[in-house]
Amino acid sequence: MTLLARRDLLAALLALTVSASLPTAARAVEPAVAFDDLDRAAIERIGKAWLEQNPGANAKALAMRLFPGGPNVGTLADLRRRAASDFRQGAVFIHRGWRLSQTEGALFGLLALGSAA
Amino acid sequence: MAFIDARALPDASRIEADLIIVGGGLAGIALARELAGGSLKVALLESGGREIDMDNQALYAGSATVRAPDNADRPLNDYPAQSRIRALGGSGHVWGGKCAPLDPADFVQRDWAPHSGWPMSREQLQPFYDRACDLLGIPRFGPDTPVLRDPARKPLDLDPQDGFFPAPRYFSKISGGADRAAFDAFRTDFANAPNITVYLHANVTQVRLAQKGDKVEGLDVACLGGKRHTARARTYVLATGGIENARLMLASNTVHPEGVGNRYDLVGRFFQGHVTYAMDGDAETEGSAVHVARAGSMALYVPPGRAQPHCVIGSGLTGQTRMKTGNFTLTLYNGGPPGSGTPTQAETRVIRQAATRLDAGKDEGQLLGCFAMTEHFPNPDSRITLDMADLDPLGMPRIKLDWVYSKADWDSFERTTAAIGDALGASGQGRLCWPVQRTDYVAISSASRHHMGTTRMHADPKQGVVDADCRVHGAANLYVAGSSVFPTSGIANPTLTLLALTLRLADHLKLKMGAAR
Repeated sequence: MTLLARRDLLAALLALTVSASLPTAARAVEPAVAFDDLDRAAIERIGKAWLEQNPGANAKALAMRLFPGGPNVGTLADLRRRAASDFRQGAVFIHRGWRLSQTEGALFGLLALGSAA
Repeated sequence: MAFIDARALPDASRIEADLIIVGGGLAGIALARELAGGSLKVALLESGGREIDMDNQALYAGSATVRAPDNADRPLNDYPAQSRIRALGGSGHVWGGKCAPLDPADFVQRDWAPHSGWPMSREQLQPFYDRACDLLGIPRFGPDTPVLRDPARKPLDLDPQDGFFPAPRYFSKISGGADRAAFDAFRTDFANAPNITVYLHANVTQVRLAQKGDKVEGLDVACLGGKRHTARARTYVLATGGIENARLMLASNTVHPEGVGNRYDLVGRFFQGHVTYAMDGDAETEGSAVHVARAGSMALYVPPGRAQPHCVIGSGLTGQTRMKTGNFTLTLYNGGPPGSGTPTQAETRVIRQAATRLDAGKDEGQLLGCFAMTEHFPNPDSRITLDMADLDPLGMPRIKLDWVYSKADWDSFERTTAAIGDALGASGQGRLCWPVQRTDYVAISSASRHHMGTTRMHADPKQGVVDADCRVHGAANLYVAGSSVFPTSGIANPTLTLLALTLRLADHLKLKMGAAR
């Protein structure tokens, strides 16, 4: 895994943990710790399912796709906008019946690649 | 109280009245209640007795098969007998009491939905909906209806441009399953009026037309046990249910071989039913579900108890027009705490966690079960016919129901489920899990006891059996009450609408028969 992808993967993990409901202090926790509540094996399975539908995707491309401006405080909002736009355009990833945006699928794909690295 | 057991009458008795109502279900009773105390002499003929009796119930027996593209045929041969009740009060005995009006969209002629459109608008029917609500003791439906104004019950914040909206449902106590005393009063107290006589165990087996075939001159009445009577009136109303109205009209073929009101081969066609679609999940497979990002109350959609006012997610005309779809609802329910011990459950949890965080929700949000309903488009091939070789104990041919869906039904269903999933996601309100394949639809469906369309209403006799006043085209003194006159079926439970139409019919008959008070 390249340095760029690794850095953006961390940004992705952090983005997933940043919620309006979390106290400010929680935003500063180590990404690995903050990500503990998400099941890595489950992420990997979902991400692999997305990658199978999107052959050729790699971590660098996904990181660029998901975080084109690099990690910043607007990462979560950017992802949210992209997901909403996906749904509006019917760009969806269906996993065992769950209708998810392609952005979510790509995020799981990136996380799966990170797990495999 | 004027209740007469037709079995106790001398054989070949002649029942006479100004108006005869055939059928003592909710429609027939509502009509009689409207006329009680008036100047018209009214006879109500009910096939059953006061309580459910299996010999009477067996008169409904027939055969039924659900047919649909890409699905195996599904026999439902118990359905005709099990989906209605043949006793005074009709299917009100087992009705759950759920009430909802048809949506304004249901009344509109939609170019993408062949045979759609009513000869009236929702706005024109609204005064009768209001009266039907009063009759059933529930709040009136409208923008100010209480369940939509409760600040403790917040709707999902869906983008209005998507066309989905909270559609209210109320529950009446006037049902055998809710408040027996209230139901018993509803189905009997009108008979105290001096102008009302209720005949029990009086089965109408033939609508006899005059020789010219343009009006009814009498009815044949049969009792289990052997007695036969006749009945005559100035005006007749058939109110025997969405299957039996068509059965009786088709079987009444002594003057017109094709039956009464069937010059254009429409009686019995366009059968529409309501079914629910849901996929049960378990630890290894997903079920149909909605993940909601919010942690707050979903009580608007998932009330704390059974038979409580609530809303379903409806699809309005804006969305239907854009998607070229029919009506649709998604009903949410509490499916219990989600598990996390299996790989499937773990994936579900991760999906929900990620979605919630993306949607700026709290914690893991909420996982609710859901079932969908989709409009059954009017279809002439979906029909009731008679099996002339299979007669019931009264000599009436039994029915054969071919309950038929088309590719258009499934296309509409799939476009709408995709759209509600997209609307939830786009608005950051949640995600839909709909793990259902087209080939599964018939197998996973659960049929409601709603029968519609078989004597459809249309101003043009070539397109409808009854006119906008519910009068049978070509039969001057014959009317039909009940859900068989619905041109389209929407999603709403039909009772409130059939009662609204019945009250409208009552006003019409009072005027026409010179009985307006």
